[in-house]
Amino acid sequence: MSRRGTASRKREQVIRLIHLCRTVRERGVDPFEVDVKDKLGLLDRYLPGWEALDDLSLDAEALNRLTMVIEAQGGWIKYRSSLLYVDPLLIEFKVRALDAKALFTSFVRAWRPILEYEQLSPQRVKEAVEYWNRLPSLRERFRRLPSPPWTRPSALSLEEMLELGVFSAQGFEQVLSEFAMELMDRAKKEGSVAYWDFIYAETYEETVRRAYLTSFLVTYGYARLELRGLGEKPYLIPASPVALSPEAGQPSSTAVPLNYETWLKVGEARRLE
Amino acid sequence: MSEEEQAYARKMKRAAQLLFFQRHRRPGVKGWELKRSLGKGYMKVLELLDAELERLGLEIKVIEEEGGSIENPSPDELDRARFVLRLRGPPTATDARLSGWRIDDVAALAATVAYILSRQGKALQRDVERLLEPKFPGWVVQYDLERFLRRGYLTRDERGMLYLGWRSRAEIDEKLLLNLIMGEEAPQPEQAASTDVKDLGDR
Repeated sequence: MSRRGTASRKREQVIRLIHLCRTVRERGVDPFEVDVKDKLGLLDRYLPGWEALDDLSLDAEALNRLTMVIEAQGGWIKYRSSLLYVDPLLIEFKVRALDAKALFTSFVRAWRPILEYEQLSPQRVKEAVEYWNRLPSLRERFRRLPSPPWTRPSALSLEEMLELGVFSAQGFEQVLSEFAMELMDRAKKEGSVAYWDFIYAETYEETVRRAYLTSFLVTYGYARLELRGLGEKPYLIPASPVALSPEAGQPSSTAVPLNYETWLKVGEARRLE
Repeated sequence: MSEEEQAYARKMKRAAQLLFFQRHRRPGVKGWELKRSLGKGYMKVLELLDAELERLGLEIKVIEEEGGSIENPSPDELDRARFVLRLRGPPTATDARLSGWRIDDVAALAATVAYILSRQGKALQRDVERLLEPKFPGWVVQYDLERFLRRGYLTRDERGMLYLGWRSRAEIDEKLLLNLIMGEEAPQPEQAASTDVKDLGDR
């Protein structure tokens, strides 16, 4: 093999060593997978042959990575000798073998939840009063804003609706059918899904689109809207349209208003949750 | 009641208010805040309050910013520490279910925490997802992990590595959790197929 070919092979081995050390560090792999003594011997053998600055840098990088592996080995030994050490594979096996109920029970027995009492504190009330006192009237605030150009309300064309994403070029029935499948999937576990959880999306436009499609699901009988609890929280219950019959009861109409503020509020509530 | 006792009773009441009401984004009160409000002898006041809370099954826990316990803290460490109220013992299974967590969510949290603990406190998110996905639908796993991150049970770095968050350290007896999971009997296949929330009684 030529001298150049040998150097290239050596370089490749050093790069592979750096990659191995990096994997150990970043992926939490057992650091004893790296035979440090052997690798140091390899670097020692190759060092006299390096002439180019790049090769020497590569050697230094490999040496640095090996010291990190040694550090990780130290940490690993310390951890294994601690009371917390359990073989990761054994834990993984147990977690995979146990059902949700057993995991739940184990967790609850080891859990000491922190108490949080969410309520307005005097400090927050004080801040609110100060804010209220400083807040200019609506009229004053509007006066500061540039008046938007006024346009007469008009109907949106299909092209505009396509552009806004309210409609898609796909057949409406197909979109609705996919949407109904999504509802059935989301409600599979509980039998129902909270209306706001279902229609909420990252953007206001998408949320409106989902609310719009949901109204069709309810109208066509793919889903039922039920108001639950004292707060009359709306829930969607998927239903097969063929199961609907006149005996199922009189159709009723429920309006669920959605505007930008509502969307912001729902998003905030979900973030807090 | 002597004047001194009256003063302590007043300070205990104040300490309880500070601890019970959430004042910051994270629950609990900083040591320096307690010192400012209760005076230099605030630790004595907290000891007395802790004894009162014991009767209610609660305790005052001193944690560092990252959630870990502090053993024999110095005055400086106490100033920087966070004082939180938590249950002295585990909640009943019924209480845990009523706290707004579904059994599957808690099970996913238990599996995630145990998995991360067994890997020296860190694991790649995609490895955790791979662990959870045979048991729960993909979107539930995503939703749960984001929720654990928001609540402080987990943290994540830019490489997608998950670590235990401050809340896990403050709320979970890690050693006990691992021991309990290791000691649990895996269900027989027919039992495993019928996990029902309703039949879960308090153990």
